[in-house]
Amino acid sequence: MTAIPSAGGRRGALAQGMTLAWRSLVPLRNEPGRLVQFLLQPIFMVVVFVLMFGAMSGDPEHAARYLMPGVLTQVALISTNTTGMNLAEDIVNGVFDRFRSMPIARSAPLVGRVTADALTTAVTILVALLAGIAAGFRITAAPLDALAGLALLLLFTLALSWVSAWLGLKAKSVASMQGTATAVLLPLTFGSSAFIPPDNLPGVLRWWSSVNPVSHLADAVRALLTGAPVGTHVWITLACAAAVTACFVPLAVRAYTRRIR
Amino acid sequence: MTYAIEAHGLVKRYGDKAALAGIDLAAPPGSVLGVLGPNGAGKTTAVRILATLVSPDGGRAAVGGHDVVKAPAEVRKLIGLTGQYASVDEKLTGRQNLVMIGRLLGMGRTEARGRAAALLAEFGLEDAADRAAGSYSGGMRRRLDLAVSLVGRPSIVFMDEPTTGLDPRARADLWRIVREQVAGGATVLLTTQYLEEADQLADEIVLIDHGLVAARGTPRELKARAGDRRLEIRPEHDTEKAELILAEVTGLTPHRGENGLLSVPLLDSAVSPAVFRRLEEAGVALSEHAVRRPTLDEAFLALTDTTTSGRTR
Ligand SMILES: Nc1ncnc2c1ncn2[C@@H]1O[C@H](COP(=O)(O)OP(=O)(O)OP(=O)(O)O)[C@@H](O)[C@H]1O
Ligand SMILES: [Mg+2]
Repeated sequence: MTAIPSAGGRRGALAQGMTLAWRSLVPLRNEPGRLVQFLLQPIFMVVVFVLMFGAMSGDPEHAARYLMPGVLTQVALISTNTTGMNLAEDIVNGVFDRFRSMPIARSAPLVGRVTADALTTAVTILVALLAGIAAGFRITAAPLDALAGLALLLLFTLALSWVSAWLGLKAKSVASMQGTATAVLLPLTFGSSAFIPPDNLPGVLRWWSSVNPVSHLADAVRALLTGAPVGTHVWITLACAAAVTACFVPLAVRAYTRRIR
Repeated sequence: MTYAIEAHGLVKRYGDKAALAGIDLAAPPGSVLGVLGPNGAGKTTAVRILATLVSPDGGRAAVGGHDVVKAPAEVRKLIGLTGQYASVDEKLTGRQNLVMIGRLLGMGRTEARGRAAALLAEFGLEDAADRAAGSYSGGMRRRLDLAVSLVGRPSIVFMDEPTTGLDPRARADLWRIVREQVAGGATVLLTTQYLEEADQLADEIVLIDHGLVAARGTPRELKARAGDRRLEIRPEHDTEKAELILAEVTGLTPHRGENGLLSVPLLDSAVSPAVFRRLEEAGVALSEHAVRRPTLDEAFLALTDTTTSGRTR
């Protein structure tokens, strides 16, 4: 635990990260109104995509089987937004100046934030799943497969939250972070097989959807939840998550350490 | 290690503009160094370099004997920083802010809570302790920020304009806290735009402008050079005559301002009654007279350019 001599104190980098994860979650307890964001959005997505779009198709039950894993993917990925936004806010408010002037591990503020956001993302996914079940979606795979599907989703989300962290640390303001993150996330989520099979799409969209890593994620989650054959989707998704993590963890840590201003 | 804070020829450029153009600073342990200067002088830049937040483009600095560029981790173990803008977590309560910092510094749960409670009491924040810091007034936020920077009992404290935006009482409280820190053996570097504040607190003042040291010395030395107070008179007529009398009594060349305003540095309080008596004898009526403390600008002018200070001695 003494890998980082600069960590100081009696506790190591991990404990510091946990303190900062606590710090990121405490506002939810201080002001439970903030929870609405995590509860309302997934329910709304289920209503729109599973119930309303499902009603448009001839076979709502079949549509739910296709759309619900897509909604889970969408909801999880969009939730990574908060990581970067909170970091950008910490920079603007000078909170990071305080942390950087303290004898704590360089990674602690980022690890704390990402850990806290992984927890809220897990809650968001769970709420969406419960709403989906209420809307008629059924998990038809073996329990372990279904769990693996949810774990895969969380893992990919975790990888993406490091991209979000990097964007947040680079952004000039909270608003510009939000803009950039939306510009990245919308084509990734909507331009995937989450809601519409690529085969049904025209020209460029079809090409984009078929190369989009999120399509593999959505297909893998769908297969694991419904007991369909997973093919190579799981491995491609894992490889993408590993690659993104390997790139963006160092990038984010460097952006944090770099002495800006 | 003779100095707690030491800087030699610090340079920091932003684009082609030099925020610091080579300044030297030195503060012995247990002293207060006041860094005085107008907006944009480079005060914050200097503090940020010393607190390891920014690397200098030239020169070197050591805090507690550790080089700020080569051994920032060592420096961070010694310092407490109160930045120019309060850097508290607005979503946390005052108490939670303090506990978080204590925990990060390696304190156990009980110890961190105890330290938080003690600081809340010391800084008069007990009533607001369990409210989100986002709902604090500007002054409360500053006080919390200061309390947060003292959680780890730092031996070297940086305060960037700690009293800007505080009411007179809060300012007096802060002065008391600074003195307590020093009494406890800490070294304090504080920046300010107020001559009076530097005068009250600092053992040594460094006046900077445009990234350069314009003057340095003890408050006494600087005030003597700045002329401390000024006597100002505005004769209704006979300005020439009044100017001669003023020069004769004070032995200084009066400064001529707008609309016949004459002013001289007031080095001795007995001078003003003498001036008024002589003016009355000479039949010069005054439409206005006052004894004024120099503003920072005036002190600044006086200290940076002796030819404009009106001295003839
Ligand atoms: N990040 C930055 N980018 C560009 N210029 C900067 C930056 N930080 C400071 N400067 C410039 O450097 C100069 C010194 O700024 P600094 O903040 O150190 O002044 P200051 O003495 O603290 O002023 P104030 O009393 O207004 O706080 C200013 O001209 C400022 O515009
Ligand atoms: Mg400043």
